[in-house]
Amino acid sequence: MSTTTTPPPSRLDPEPVPRRDVLGLAAMASAAGACLLALAGLLRLPKAAVLSSPSKKFKAVLPENLAAGEAFVPAGRSVALFRDAEGVYAISTVCTHLGCIIKPNAEGFECPCHGSKFQSDGSVKRGPAPRALPWLKVSHTGGNWIVDEGAPVPPGTKVQA
Amino acid sequence: MSKNKYLLLLSSLGALALLIAAAVNEHFMKEWRRIQNVAVSDEGPVEVRLRQVINPGLKVTDRCVSCHVTMGAGEGSVRGAKVLAPHKAVSHDPAEYGCTVCHGGQGLATDKAESHGDVHFWPEPMLPSHYSYAGCGTCHAPLRVPQRESYQRAVSAFERLDCYACHRVEGRGGTIRPDGGGMEGPDLSKAGLAGYDREWYPKHVEKMQKEPLKAWKMSFSAVNDEDRQLLDVFLSTCVGASRLVEAKAMFNTAGCLGCHKVSGVGGDSGPDLSRAGYKDPGLADFSHVSGPATLANWQAEHLRSPLSIVLGSQMPSLGLSDRDIEQLVLYTLSLRRRDLPISYVPKDRMRALRFGEREFSTDGATVYGTFCAGCHGLAGSGLRSAGLASFPSIANPDLLERVSDEFLKNTIQHGRPGRRMPAWGDMASGLRPEEILSVIDYLRSLSGVKQKPDRTPPRWVKADSASGRALFASTCAGCHGAQGEGGEAPALNNQVLLASATDTYLIETIGRGRRGTVMQGFLDPSPARRTLAGAEIESVVAFIRTWEKKQP
Amino acid sequence: MTPAEKPPDGLREFADNLKAAPRHIYETAFRSGTPATDRTRSTFIFGNVFLHLHSVRVHRWTLRWSTTMGLGIMTTSAFLITLITGVMLMFYYKPFPEAAYDSMKDIHFVVPTGRFIRNIHRWAANVMVVAVILHMTRAFFTASYRKPREYNWLIGLGLLVVTLGLSFTGYLLPWDQLAYWAITIGANIAQSPREVTDAIGITQWFDPGGIQKLLLLGSDVVGPEALIRFYLLHVMLLPLALGALMGVHFWRIRKDGGLARPSDADARLGPPPAGTYPVFTEAPQRTYQLAAVVKGRTPAVNNGPENTVPSMPHLFYAELGVFMLTVLICLALALISDAPLKELANPSVPENPAKAPWYFLGLQELVSFSAFMGGIGVPAIVLLGLGLIPYLDREKEGTGQWFGGPGGWPLVRRSILLGLGSTLLVETLVIRFGWLREWFPHIPQLIITAINPATILTTIYALYSLWLIRRHHSTRAGAMGLFTCFLCGFLVLTIIGTYFRGPNWVFYWSPGDWPKH
Repeated sequence: MSTTTTPPPSRLDPEPVPRRDVLGLAAMASAAGACLLALAGLLRLPKAAVLSSPSKKFKAVLPENLAAGEAFVPAGRSVALFRDAEGVYAISTVCTHLGCIIKPNAEGFECPCHGSKFQSDGSVKRGPAPRALPWLKVSHTGGNWIVDEGAPVPPGTKVQA
Repeated sequence: MSKNKYLLLLSSLGALALLIAAAVNEHFMKEWRRIQNVAVSDEGPVEVRLRQVINPGLKVTDRCVSCHVTMGAGEGSVRGAKVLAPHKAVSHDPAEYGCTVCHGGQGLATDKAESHGDVHFWPEPMLPSHYSYAGCGTCHAPLRVPQRESYQRAVSAFERLDCYACHRVEGRGGTIRPDGGGMEGPDLSKAGLAGYDREWYPKHVEKMQKEPLKAWKMSFSAVNDEDRQLLDVFLSTCVGASRLVEAKAMFNTAGCLGCHKVSGVGGDSGPDLSRAGYKDPGLADFSHVSGPATLANWQAEHLRSPLSIVLGSQMPSLGLSDRDIEQLVLYTLSLRRRDLPISYVPKDRMRALRFGEREFSTDGATVYGTFCAGCHGLAGSGLRSAGLASFPSIANPDLLERVSDEFLKNTIQHGRPGRRMPAWGDMASGLRPEEILSVIDYLRSLSGVKQKPDRTPPRWVKADSASGRALFASTCAGCHGAQGEGGEAPALNNQVLLASATDTYLIETIGRGRRGTVMQGFLDPSPARRTLAGAEIESVVAFIRTWEKKQP
Repeated sequence: MTPAEKPPDGLREFADNLKAAPRHIYETAFRSGTPATDRTRSTFIFGNVFLHLHSVRVHRWTLRWSTTMGLGIMTTSAFLITLITGVMLMFYYKPFPEAAYDSMKDIHFVVPTGRFIRNIHRWAANVMVVAVILHMTRAFFTASYRKPREYNWLIGLGLLVVTLGLSFTGYLLPWDQLAYWAITIGANIAQSPREVTDAIGITQWFDPGGIQKLLLLGSDVVGPEALIRFYLLHVMLLPLALGALMGVHFWRIRKDGGLARPSDADARLGPPPAGTYPVFTEAPQRTYQLAAVVKGRTPAVNNGPENTVPSMPHLFYAELGVFMLTVLICLALALISDAPLKELANPSVPENPAKAPWYFLGLQELVSFSAFMGGIGVPAIVLLGLGLIPYLDREKEGTGQWFGGPGGWPLVRRSILLGLGSTLLVETLVIRFGWLREWFPHIPQLIITAINPATILTTIYALYSLWLIRRHHSTRAGAMGLFTCFLCGFLVLTIIGTYFRGPNWVFYWSPGDWPKH
């Protein structure tokens, strides 16, 4: 015959953990919820709502004696302006490959970074550039040429004064 | 130990609720969002986002276009709310120049009160729309503006000669040609800024003679020289901001530069006004000002009665009408010149800055109005106000009859050292010689009096100064001071006065007095005080001469 | 090799491993598994680099709310909040004079959630200062600084100084009028030893004040050099110092045998309430031995882990609870009130009154009599005194009990009356009648440096404290009186400096009475 005395619990034994600690779970869940929402708010911060770059639209003064096919790059801008018999047009000088500023030359454009070459109408001649250089919107208001670097137009769009 | 769990649960739920509240506030409650949510353009609803105009040259980052969307680049067609009214046509596109350059306010802000600058910590609130032309003063300095009367004559000449029949100025006048070829004459709104053909008159005449059209013969006829001068004045002040020019004409009439400096020109007695339009209303004392705590109101109340706004102010009360005050406030607010990168400096300012052109017209009337009228009065009749030394009447015919142009020139040039009259010719911020001469001409024309020929030598009195001393003490010292140091009346021991005044001038002035002033002739019998005989006057003059320092 | 024993399919094995990789990553990261047993709960703590600063088990006395009121955790939580929000703000902040102000405007107006995060940052910083002062007060009044916790009290003092330093350096960064002039005053307080060196005429050879100011500002005025120095201190040096000190502080709590508790704590706690995890009662043979390193035992020896509960989860619920409470407080304050941003700093137009952050306004009040004594002398004496307390009070009575020690609460109550009364009296006198300079315009500066409200109050408190030591035959009694008096003085002076001082540091009953410029 043996008496069924329960031995004292040892610290190595599993303890009788309550099956459902509703309060504890709810508390932990709401804390986690609050932290996640706070995290979401925090992570919104680094995405800037406004950019510090100046307006893409600018006024350009074309030289009087600009020959047909000759590029004019306004200071501080990455746009080449041209004037021929059909009117004025603008081609972006930002390489479509990785954004270097390309140089207009007699045959077209040439990128110093990875050797892309473009025709004078902006289409790709050779090199890694995937796309033709975009033509940009030019308008003539109040005696001024207004170029919008942010507004591409179909190639071949030329504007008369 | 479940109380810790309750603590955690309740705190977390509370934090969650507050975070949701903050998110709602951020996403739905912003004013600019509510405006853009209902705004539509020709292409449909506008994209809801913060917008801004950046101009690195002018150091402008203006987020005003987040609410006033129409004023942004290429957004002219947006409509849907009251704040979306388009900007009126101006030569400076707000999408390029930004808003705060002209209007003031806080460009970086996106809330109404803060961006309009109506918060106590923003030093540059928006200009009230009533005074918005003051914004031009950030960059521009209207040149060649005459004093008010001349300006009004020029304006009415343009009207009287019916130039408006063909020409348009600031939206007024002009005729569209019946055949659709535009205006009959060019728009002259900015003739003064852009420049106009100085040979316009002979060309008009030539064209009239050649022109077969009846219209030309009917509408154009010969213009006399005087009117042509007036039209030139009008044209050179056409800068597209007639309200500002009018205000400046008033400024050039009230004599403000007699005491105040603007852009390094003017007197020293009052504060420099070069940046008066930028004065921080938060630092101004509004404790005695009735009405709103705006800079415009402070200026207006101060002009109405300087002493009641600024304790111990030396500025005389000028007795201005409400309209005068409004114009002076507009001009004062326009004194807000900013340092600009060279490519933004406008022609007018460049002419003033680099080519020495004056910011006021340099004819005698305008120079007098700009520098002298504040103290000596618009008509030159002087100014007497309680508590302050009175200013002499300088257009007095008795004075002008007895003094030479040389005397006047010396007086203006060297002033009255120790008194309030500055040495206009000697100080860097003063007048140029030709301007002094033009003022003298103007003074002569004001009274219509030329100097009476005087053939006596400058110094001829040989009387005894000792008896003059007693006479002076009993008769003159009451007003002119015991040592002639001046009191209510001008100082007589002044070296500049003594050097340029002739004996004849002194004797005449003592003997015959000056009409219209307190100084009565001492030869005239008077019940109020003793009369002096000719010899007595000579001895007084001899006594006055003893103050003159001998030339080394 | 038999045909039956096919070589293992290498590709299949690769695929299985790939499939199991996420589970393995989790298992290798959290080796102990679910913290369900006493053992796994323990490994959960000492197997985690962030948690192992905690002791594995915590005495039930520690978990009573009245023991600590959660103030230490609240301070830590506020620091964590400022740390996170501060790092976020660094995405946009530009530490160069006018750009700094513009970037603050950007954060306020256009950065997504920027205004809210800045508000939280500011409020959490204030909560941290309040909590750290209250935490120190709690530690003092429960006599928790006594052996073996003397050194941790010193670390705590270091944390107090670094916390104030962080707040002070952050004050300049917005580069507005408030910032500029508060820092100008602060820098000149750093220079104030010149008050003494000038008076005795040795500044030419020995100028510690000038050197302090030069080191702080990098120039003679507050300019770009000062801004970048303050920025460096604020975002790097001081947070690193604070983090290191915090690590030592927490680790020492464990090494010093947990929180201080009264010797009869077990008896007063009674049996654990039903429904909690079982309390460890089995007395072990050995605990926390310095096994095989040297002979001897750690300070925790002889205190068996009786009447303790596992830190995981009991302590963590408490800690998380206080953390979330702190978050809640900061969020609520941030929603209610925007952090101030005044005009762009203008070196030619002083802000009037130029007030430092509120916790320095008590000092600013004293500084208005003598810059050196108020700004450096008395604070140094206070810090020195605080640091010496645990080494002078070697008594045993009342450890771990609120207001423990001879005299107890009645003594503290009397000291509060004396502290408030004497400070108010001295302030009333100087506000009403002025001070030495007003009476004797030509009095030597040294006399004012020596005799001014700061030194007078310090002397009153010190004499009172000495009297208490003599009366109760107890250093603890003197320390309690002195600490209470200084606390009351701090309170009164801070309130006067905050609410009753206007332009030109003149006394006004309310800001409504300030003259308008």
